[in-house]
Amino acid sequence: MKPFLSSLIWVLLNWPSLLYAGGPLVVVIHPGSSVETLSREEVINIFLGRYRQLPSGLLAQPVDQPAGQKASFYKLLVGKELPEINAYWSRLVFSGKTKPPQQARDLAEVIQWVNSLPGAIGYMEADQVDSRVKVALKLN
Amino acid sequence: MMKNINIRQNPQQLLTLFKEFLMIHQGAFHRGRKPATRGQWVLSVGLLLLSLLPWQASADIPLPLGMTLRGFGTLGLARSSTDQAAFIRDLSQPEGIVDRWSAKFDSLLGLQANLQLADPVEAVAQVVSRYHSDGTYQPELMWGFLKFDPNASLSWRLGRVGTEFYMLSDSRLVGYSYVTVRPSHDYFGGLPYSYVDGADVLVTLPLGEGLARGKLVEGLARENVPATGGQFNLNRSQMLGGYLDYQIGSWQWRLGYSQLRFHNELPALLKLDSALEATGLPSVQSLVSALSTSGTLAQYYSFGTVYDRGPLQVQLMFSQTRYETASLENEWAGYWLGSYRLGKITPFAGFSWSQTSSKSLETGLPPVPRLAPLNAAVASAMHNARSDQHTFTLGTRWDFYHNLALKAQWDGIRGQPDSVRSYRDEQPDWSGHMDVFSLTLDFVF
Repeated sequence: MKPFLSSLIWVLLNWPSLLYAGGPLVVVIHPGSSVETLSREEVINIFLGRYRQLPSGLLAQPVDQPAGQKASFYKLLVGKELPEINAYWSRLVFSGKTKPPQQARDLAEVIQWVNSLPGAIGYMEADQVDSRVKVALKLN
Repeated sequence: MMKNINIRQNPQQLLTLFKEFLMIHQGAFHRGRKPATRGQWVLSVGLLLLSLLPWQASADIPLPLGMTLRGFGTLGLARSSTDQAAFIRDLSQPEGIVDRWSAKFDSLLGLQANLQLADPVEAVAQVVSRYHSDGTYQPELMWGFLKFDPNASLSWRLGRVGTEFYMLSDSRLVGYSYVTVRPSHDYFGGLPYSYVDGADVLVTLPLGEGLARGKLVEGLARENVPATGGQFNLNRSQMLGGYLDYQIGSWQWRLGYSQLRFHNELPALLKLDSALEATGLPSVQSLVSALSTSGTLAQYYSFGTVYDRGPLQVQLMFSQTRYETASLENEWAGYWLGSYRLGKITPFAGFSWSQTSSKSLETGLPPVPRLAPLNAAVASAMHNARSDQHTFTLGTRWDFYHNLALKAQWDGIRGQPDSVRSYRDEQPDWSGHMDVFSLTLDFVF
């Protein structure tokens, strides 16, 4: 009974990311960054504006993809839907705290952002990665 | 997308719509404070809905000179099951919800401009039009500060800053940011303070696997609180506060402390004091000073925890408030709220309570019939802020469209007839029991 109950609770808490049907997403940083890998917790802190510092000491500058991939990213990262992420940001923005990540219009803008700023951090599908960015975490 | 581009080119349109909204409500509430007619409400609701359409595609409206303009608002309808007492959202409201549908008490509109000055320096101003202490929708400057973030760990703000007496209390007006229709009436209802003119500093540091935060704020209160016999003017009351917070994984815990040193007297006391002094009895001096609020301390202790994982969110908060003055009763309050998202629908359930304890005070007035009315007036002054009730809450939020949420909620308030702190216009037959039904549309842009 107990294992059943705990697996039920686990499913109830994790179904949004379990139902994720897209390909794997990767978190990418500037190719010249001294950072090699980031933990999931560090990426959460940066994208949710809790603590925006890279392990190298640089200020992290996150960028979001347009709606489709953005929804997949937050579902994989924290199991939340976009309306919840928007609600979260409306609380922080309208209480004068941190700003949400920069909003890119397309993949090209994300690549340009990550490639041109030493503290930049973004995400994309694994097969969209090229030499202009460096993979720091794989999400799936 | 076309419409979106229009707004980007013409942010003036947004301001014009906001002005129209304000004109309607000022017109309705300024003159004799009559409720708006149905026509006026339909017009303003329509205007607001219309004004929403072009904004849905973008959260930010970039303006020239590195400025962004954003907004939030609520169109709210509510009614209660009784006219024995009027339900208020918090102590800043002079009138409240009775047994007729009204859009007056939860509807609001906020506009915020952020201006990036230099890289780590930002100027922020937020204006909100809501039903507030003077019974109008006169816009107020809720936030207006310069923010300086020299690094990821430090954030200074100087100017008009929102107060965080309790966890989440600095975003009480942003309905879109939480699941319920309004913040818990039992827990947040006793907080009429929205902002102080002063400064705050927030420190964030990694600690173990999580993040530790500490905040300090100091400033002067500026607001008024409608009270028995007039407005309780909080102006120049000094506020000092802070919290320690730890966040790890899905958990966040916070311990908070705030204090306010009242600068002014409660309006009801001014009248009572002169009546007491008119007796000529020497003993009334100590009574007058025990009842006095001016120069006395109000202390707010709080503990809050949030568990937030995927579709589940649970909040549990406690607070204790202590007043030096004998005019205000000490309070113990708390709430529990749980929500679980199923696609676009998020049902929620909560339980809250608010319990004050009466203070005993030797009036020193001899028990002669001539002084009986005065004795009664002292007793009544000491019970004006009495609260003894609990509330069951059930409701649902529906995120039916980008940046728009519809909510429906029932609150079942079960209290004692002498629980009057969070109400206006209590009638002699007030039973302490009330059901409140609410429907809101929250939006951000």
